[in-house]
Amino acid sequence: MTAARGEITEIVGRPSSGRTSLLVACLFDVVRSGETAALVDTEEAFDPTSAAQAGVDLRRLLWVRCGARRDVALRAVDMLIRCPGFALVALDLGERVVRLPATLAFRLKFAVRRTDVALLIVGRRRLTGSSATLAIETRRQAIEWAGPGPAPTRLARVRTTTQVLRARQPQPAQWPSRWWRA
Amino acid sequence: MAVALVAGVSRFACVLVAHFAAAAVERCEPALREQPLAVLSARVDSPNVGREGAPTANKKIAPTIKKIVDANAAARERHVRPGMTETEAAARCPTLVTRPLIDDHAAAARHALLEAVLAVSPRIEDGGAGIVYVDTAGLERLIGEPAAIGRRLVHQARTVGLVARVGLAGSRTAARVAAASASVPVTVIPPGRERATLAGVPLGVLDLDPELTATLARWGVRTLGELAALPREGVTMRLGPAGLRAHDQALGRDHEPFRPWTPPPFWEEAQGLEWEIDSLEVLTVVLETVLTRLGGRLGAAALAADVLDIRLGLASGGHHARVVSLAYPMSEVKPMLALVALDLEGHPPPAPVTRVAVSAHPIRAQMGQGGLWQPPVPAIRDLVSVLARLAALVGVDSLGSPALLDSHRPDAFAMLAFSPPIESDAPARGDATEPRLALRRMRPARRVDVAMAGERPTRVDAQHVVACAGPWRASGEWWDTEAWARDEWDVALGDGALCRLARDCLTGHWYLDGLYD
Repeated sequence: MTAARGEITEIVGRPSSGRTSLLVACLFDVVRSGETAALVDTEEAFDPTSAAQAGVDLRRLLWVRCGARRDVALRAVDMLIRCPGFALVALDLGERVVRLPATLAFRLKFAVRRTDVALLIVGRRRLTGSSATLAIETRRQAIEWAGPGPAPTRLARVRTTTQVLRARQPQPAQWPSRWWRA
Repeated sequence: MAVALVAGVSRFACVLVAHFAAAAVERCEPALREQPLAVLSARVDSPNVGREGAPTANKKIAPTIKKIVDANAAARERHVRPGMTETEAAARCPTLVTRPLIDDHAAAARHALLEAVLAVSPRIEDGGAGIVYVDTAGLERLIGEPAAIGRRLVHQARTVGLVARVGLAGSRTAARVAAASASVPVTVIPPGRERATLAGVPLGVLDLDPELTATLARWGVRTLGELAALPREGVTMRLGPAGLRAHDQALGRDHEPFRPWTPPPFWEEAQGLEWEIDSLEVLTVVLETVLTRLGGRLGAAALAADVLDIRLGLASGGHHARVVSLAYPMSEVKPMLALVALDLEGHPPPAPVTRVAVSAHPIRAQMGQGGLWQPPVPAIRDLVSVLARLAALVGVDSLGSPALLDSHRPDAFAMLAFSPPIESDAPARGDATEPRLALRRMRPARRVDVAMAGERPTRVDAQHVVACAGPWRASGEWWDTEAWARDEWDVALGDGALCRLARDCLTGHWYLDGLYD
């Protein structure tokens, strides 16, 4: 999946539904082409080891840790999307359900259009309403365990599926399921 | 631009800024250029005597007299001259604007002029306040005819906020006299024509000793030509070394060897204040003025600042010093001002500010251009500015690129300054064939209560365990005081969460490391 440039994309879902894995996959898509990305991490939950294992070149990633301060995270995003040159600015809002004023959502929308930055928002619930071009919800379908004996000794894979909640462009209602290797 | 006389090739040029003390003030306040301006000396107490010559009883009531040190051309047109009192000057020119003499202004302007001229020729000499001599040998192949060299020098002086006149001649003295006596920006004296060209110039341009000037006036000598026509031996016998030197100057000969000037290792601009500044907003305005001058000097010399040293003089008598390391060498004022203001916002001066000085560590900036096939990256100027704002918002430690440490300790990483590589080679790629599951870390790891059945966890806090895998045992740094050892479990809970648990083998406590998501 690739977040659209100049648009807002939202990924929502329950914990352990694959939201963060999808976010890291988007970061990988951006940095592997030599572009730079920024991640505004509200709850400081980003795991650099997981991202490095997913192939993300961490040198091209600007990580902004906000210490669980939502207002700080929104201000940081507001600054970053006005800086031309970033291909992707991701906002990880964590598990807390937050509400965003409609005016701020429109500001973000017009700012990303002007600088042609892809803004990706990850959270528990949808945030920007009609300002988002694409909103998807991730769901976990299956967990695969592995091990030599009857008792599993390691987590092997997790399968998730994605449902489209809102799309300005025609999209299939449900995307094919995807396996994530642990 | 008018050129008085163009012919031949001259070896020396003199860059002259007339009324330099006033020009230095105009450089700091460009709006004063069109107004009559006078520079006042520091307060000088009047003679402490009474009407009959007796000392006054109370010294505190003694009035102070300020005298004019220098005046710009507009003020001189209105008959304002150095040496006048402020009251006398104001009576002659009611619209006169006065400013106190601040040594920092003059010193900074003097250095600025030297550095600007240094960009034209590597061999220059400091001839005093507002005077720079330039060895122009070889410049004709780079720049062109002498008039073009003169125009380049005038342009360089203008880039640092100074209006200069330039004279070019076979000697420094002739060049200075030509610049001082001319009414056009560039004057060229052809080789061998120095004496004839300078013959009609009044003696006043030589800035001779007053006694010598009076003696020559009594003799009826009023121009350089008349002085040069006097017999050399007779002048030496009657006037001594001073007369001989004056005679050489009238002939356009240099009396002293050329002393090349080299720039100081640190570049500084300063601004003295007549009032105290206690707010950062106002201080930013002053800093912008100082940085504009400093940036102009750096730009004129094709240099960029790597580090800025900010030194604020305080009303309490102390100093507040800050060192601002710039993310990349720059001479642009806007990002430098943003970085300095953000630094001072985090470390404000403890008392009102009375003086601002900024010195730069200059380096030679290498121009670069992105590759044709490289993807766009944030411009360094924009990036530095946004990083500085983010650092002020979240803190320097919470901003940057993560770098994994060479350790098996969980969550071992360091934050490095964000500096995306610019090399054209493809970035490091992972296994893109199968996407990897990401972990959401708990920072710090949350302590949980875990119930066990045999060796496997069955309940985590209030949630029962649906499935689990483990343990994965890890330990490290057992040879040190930072020893650690833990058993990791991947656990699926009843509420749908898929998490990583860790049991600290040293304490026996269980922690929730994070959620797979």
